[in-house]
Amino acid sequence: MSKPTNVVLLIEDEPKIRRFLRAGFELQGFSVIEAENAADGLKAATFNAPDLIILDLALPDLHGSEVLERIRSWSNVPIIILSVVSSEDEKVRLLQAGADDYVVKPFGMAELLARSEAALRRYFKSATENPVVTAGPLSIDLVGRTVSLDKAQIRLTRKEYRLLHILATHVGLVVTHDQLLKEIWSGNQRDNIQYLRILVRKLRQKIETDPNHPRLLVTESGVGYRLQARLEDISAD
Amino acid sequence: MPLNSHLPIVQKLGTAQVPPVESRNAPAAPPDEGQTSRYVLQTEVLPLLLSLTCVGLITAVLLMLDQTVAVNLVPIAYLIPVIVAATQWGIWPATLASIASMAAADFFFFPPIFSFQVEDPQEVVDLLLFLVVALVSSNLASRLRLETETLRRREKELQNLYEFSRRLAACFTVSDLILAVQTYLSRTLGQPAVFFVAKADGQFELPKSGSVPRVVQDSVAAMVTTVGVAAHTITDEATESVWLLRAVGSETAVHGLVAVNIGGGSSESIEIKTQRVESILEEVSLTLHRIDIEKAMEDARLRLQAQLLRDAFHGTLSHELCSPLAAIQGSASVLGSMPQIRGDDRAQSLVEAITDEVAELDGFIQNLLNATRVTAGGVSPHLEWTDPRDIVNAAIRQRARRLVAHKIETEFAEDLPLVNVDSGLIEESCGQLLENAAKYSPSGSTISVGAKTEQGHVVLSISDQGVGITPDEQQYLGRRSFRSQRHQTTIPGSGLGFWIASTFVGANGGTIGISSPGQGLGTTASITLPASGMNPSELAALTHE
Repeated sequence: MSKPTNVVLLIEDEPKIRRFLRAGFELQGFSVIEAENAADGLKAATFNAPDLIILDLALPDLHGSEVLERIRSWSNVPIIILSVVSSEDEKVRLLQAGADDYVVKPFGMAELLARSEAALRRYFKSATENPVVTAGPLSIDLVGRTVSLDKAQIRLTRKEYRLLHILATHVGLVVTHDQLLKEIWSGNQRDNIQYLRILVRKLRQKIETDPNHPRLLVTESGVGYRLQARLEDISAD
Repeated sequence: MPLNSHLPIVQKLGTAQVPPVESRNAPAAPPDEGQTSRYVLQTEVLPLLLSLTCVGLITAVLLMLDQTVAVNLVPIAYLIPVIVAATQWGIWPATLASIASMAAADFFFFPPIFSFQVEDPQEVVDLLLFLVVALVSSNLASRLRLETETLRRREKELQNLYEFSRRLAACFTVSDLILAVQTYLSRTLGQPAVFFVAKADGQFELPKSGSVPRVVQDSVAAMVTTVGVAAHTITDEATESVWLLRAVGSETAVHGLVAVNIGGGSSESIEIKTQRVESILEEVSLTLHRIDIEKAMEDARLRLQAQLLRDAFHGTLSHELCSPLAAIQGSASVLGSMPQIRGDDRAQSLVEAITDEVAELDGFIQNLLNATRVTAGGVSPHLEWTDPRDIVNAAIRQRARRLVAHKIETEFAEDLPLVNVDSGLIEESCGQLLENAAKYSPSGSTISVGAKTEQGHVVLSISDQGVGITPDEQQYLGRRSFRSQRHQTTIPGSGLGFWIASTFVGANGGTIGISSPGQGLGTTASITLPASGMNPSELAALTHE
């Protein structure tokens, strides 16, 4: 193991959940710090400089979204939210407040690890400076602005490329409708989600083997879209 | 003559103030026909005898005083029994007393004594004057007596009415009110009032036999409980008494029917009594209206409590059950990824069993949560334009575990329009229908899922090759917790699924339809949703630059 160990901070009040999270992350070579409440969590986030934070929303002393905001006020560290609430509005709010992604309980460890990896990759991307993002058979050259599928270059319209570009810079992570609309359409078309739906449909026709069953550009109901990093990532939650 | 000087004044008073009072002061009707003779004896004969006794007493006293009393004072003394009879027993005993007094005065005190003859013509005038004065004053006195009686009776009535309204104010249920009305009517009219409670089927409940005559019962049976039925009267031929029937209710509902025996008598007295009963029942209707309002408030309070309970249940379910479930699911998934387990097929299959069971349990909990959401009236869809394909794919992906034993085939029409729905809710509905399809069709069979456009609507359909559905079962499908008798023992379930699905779809302005060509020939469930008016190719044109 020559690569440096990533440190993950678990802010979670349920010992049972912390126990399996620790086992799961340690199995993947992470080093784990635990905090059982928001106060301890904030302290650990400050002094232990974790590479990744797993944050439970229901904490005894402070609501998770408050903890998220406080950490975001001074750090860009990847944060993944655990919650039992599966309301789409809440997910969107958390993502807008700076969460990198979320996982709804009950969840499998594989799902959480995939999200964590994606968040870490994005966090360390600036350090590696690799301009090419791959997602299954798809590779996107962010500098050359070219896209190829199974090594064959494909032609995209300006808006299609813009959409794919934003998703590629967040590969493996969910991007909200709002964020996509804001970055693709400036001005008054911003709220028109119908345009986004149609644009996604057109892009899928170009990058998916079966556009009726997308496996790369997947929909997160009521929240946004996600560009899967690997094809086998389709989780059975 | 001192008597003469009083006369003009008395007469003036008399002519001015003697109106026909018979009808107003008519004596109360006899309570029972069997006691009529005794009643007549007590009320008619006894006062006459008593007034004669009074005259006799005065005569005796005057005879004892004899010559010392001037003959001129005799008529004045005889006015005493006349006034006493008038004030105590009324006009007829007083008239009798007047005549008897005149006769006694003539017989005992006017010469020739012990004879009805009178010597002096002046004395004849005196005696006649006495008679006139006695009659006039007895008339006046008896009128006074009747008016006092009327006043007393009115006061009693007012008191009863006051007590009645106090009882009305204390009524909180319809049965309290019925009792109050019955007591009051019986007390004021001296007749029992019968209350017929309105039944749910629009008829009135008939009381035990005997309380009302046959004609009244028949008439009540013919009436229906609709608001705004006018009161009417029925005459019972057998007893010649009149019954008033009137529906009692608030503005919105009829609570019952009151039948009151008004008794017999002139049409005028029946009219008066009817009006009185009507005004009482008017008051009763107002009270019923108030009770209705109170009941509505009580219902609202109970609903609020139920809502709080549901919220608590919701909170408990989502936290106390989901948390341990998350720990089990997470631990199992970590266990499954451990190299030791991965290499051991038996251990691996056990881990999978745990994961499957947790998924099943989680499904039940989600159903319960959804059901409490529905019953709490908490389904407020967050509408958003969505691609129907995304909904179907997400539903299939979400139920992947339950569908492993089946072959899933999907078919989407080209150029499907977008639908404006809460994708989460429709996804859940679609998932429930998929789960049902898997439950009620054999393993290895195919479930076809499709989306197409039909007359401005998008139709998502899920067809299985399973047991099908009978027309009888179809009728009960929309009900909560309905489960067909055929499958209750063989296929597990709560019966909540379809109910949740149809409620969620309904909240999005859509409908669910179930069709089956017959038992054993499979079932097709379809969700129909309003589609975007804008053509996808039109929209596509707009997305360009």
